Amino acid sequence: MSSKFNRFLFFLLLLFCCAACTRKSADNGDATVKRYSIYILAKDGKEYLLQSNSLANGLLTPEQDGVELNSKEITRSVIVKDGYYYHLNRNKRTFVKYKLESKSLLEVGSVSLKNFSIENFYWKGPDTLLLTGLNTSDFSQVKYALINTAKMEQIAAGDMDIPRPSGRFDNMSVGFVELRNQKLFVGYTYHQQLSASNYTTSDTTYITKLNYPQMTAVKTDKDTRSTYPGGINTIQPYSFNDEQHNYYFMTCPGIALGNRPELPTAIMRIKSGSDDPDENYFFNLSASATHNHAYGMWYLGNNKVIIRTERKDLFKGLGDHYSTPHFEFYVADLISKTVNKLPLPLDKGTRRQCVLVNKDIAYISVNSPTEGNHIWMYHIKTGELKKGLQLGGNTDFIMRIDELTP
Amino acid sequence: MKISKELIEKYHRNECSAEETEAVEAWLFSGESDEALQLPLGEDKALHKAALWDEIEKVLPEEVPAPIPTKKPFYKSPFWSGAIAATLVIGVLAVAGYYITTVKPANDVPMVMVNNNSSMHVKHVEANAYNISVGPNTSTKINNITGIIDLSGSLLISPKKDITLLFEGSSEKMIFKAGQTYIILKGEDGVDKIIVVNEKNIMDLPPVLQKQIINEFKI
Repeated sequence: MSSKFNRFLFFLLLLFCCAACTRKSADNGDATVKRYSIYILAKDGKEYLLQSNSLANGLLTPEQDGVELNSKEITRSVIVKDGYYYHLNRNKRTFVKYKLESKSLLEVGSVSLKNFSIENFYWKGPDTLLLTGLNTSDFSQVKYALINTAKMEQIAAGDMDIPRPSGRFDNMSVGFVELRNQKLFVGYTYHQQLSASNYTTSDTTYITKLNYPQMTAVKTDKDTRSTYPGGINTIQPYSFNDEQHNYYFMTCPGIALGNRPELPTAIMRIKSGSDDPDENYFFNLSASATHNHAYGMWYLGNNKVIIRTERKDLFKGLGDHYSTPHFEFYVADLISKTVNKLPLPLDKGTRRQCVLVNKDIAYISVNSPTEGNHIWMYHIKTGELKKGLQLGGNTDFIMRIDELTP
Repeated sequence: MKISKELIEKYHRNECSAEETEAVEAWLFSGESDEALQLPLGEDKALHKAALWDEIEKVLPEEVPAPIPTKKPFYKSPFWSGAIAATLVIGVLAVAGYYITTVKPANDVPMVMVNNNSSMHVKHVEANAYNISVGPNTSTKINNITGIIDLSGSLLISPKKDITLLFEGSSEKMIFKAGQTYIILKGEDGVDKIIVVNEKNIMDLPPVLQKQIINEFKI
């Protein structure tokens, strides 16, 4: 009898353990199935990650709904894919894969990445990430690292066959990387540091075509119609492929990137099936109705794109470029080369991953000191624009909105 | 040679020949009683010896009394002596490093002036109202009374309380809040504009400047 009773007790204990474990994994599961990720910089300087299943309505506050981040571990210069966050920790020289658990950011894998500053990322396959960057000692050598993100292992790494800065130029930037038919197109330009607070950029956009995976140069095209092609796309995107696989990229000579404000901000392209930049296509955004420089673009489909433009009449310089609300959003037509301003409040923050396109809706996050921090919903077909999710509490900047699961 | 009172007196006066000196010193160092010494009655040989020793001690190098050997001290063992030496070296290096990289002025100094000529290293200075990290090839002067700051190069400032600073040659006052860190950049020629941004917004700076600051200050 006693033995039976003991067995019964043991059975109860097992049942209890299983129930406890099941509940824990269900909680964790809930935290991982959310669709969207929101990166917040709060008024007190703290940074938070929030996840939500909807951007369409409601109110979230980082203090209550978010996970406070350790800025020594992660910054908003991240790559977000399939529920994971990838970030280069420069001080630890490690490329780390994270997952957001209910109350903390959990490291799930890492790979050593030394003497590397990420300029651009490109997903070559579902688990194959090509990172392009510069050496950290003087930012003069273009490097790459091909990483298996499932195993967090390095597949290949080395230097790209791209000339180092010469003459008066002492450093450089890589603004886009696009792989097409075993050829890698790398857009870049050169800079000259003039003082601690000033620099200038070459007037030329360089595009080198490399053999992939050898990374040996095939040819280099130079274009002086505009400069500073693309930008660091872990912070904000500057290029895309349209439905026909025409590759469009933005050039950014404004003070926030190239610091050659006398040159126009433009959209340029490499046509589908072509090996050369399209000499006949040049969308001069500065000469359009924006009358300003722009940084960042997001493709809506059907030759329409959202661009984010500055208002030079509202800021004084780089010191207030990020804190003054002066950014406007336009929908630009790539074929007719026309722009239409979206009736949104003036936005602040120099560079942000602030637009997310999902089917017919473009979610646009706007940081307005007067109207609050909202995610607006722009209906691409009807043109309707309305407020969605609000980020309240201590929110100062919505720095990123990303899709975690398709 | 017989040791006489006269000979000893002569020794005192440094008038002895080499042979006489040798004889006196041989007598002096001999512990045995010497019948050859002819002293006047009533005079003690021991007293003469003591007087002589007093004279000699004045010119002899000081002798350190030999330590009484007891148990071998632990620090004499190769392990412990190595450990102590290493600790001392690390300690000295740490103190030297602290003083080289950290300038700690008196709390109420009216002016903080730092000239960092290093092309690689950052100099950290602690003042009453703020901590600053002075970038490579940077010179700065902060008047703590007037709040006027002069800068050529790159600087990080972390106020301990809200402070207001006025840039040399500018009329615009800037408020720096306690608990925040600000990046200040200014070219040396005075033509380039001053750039002040909160460290939290470093990603909003142009990548060319951003990368330079991240490298310099190891942010």
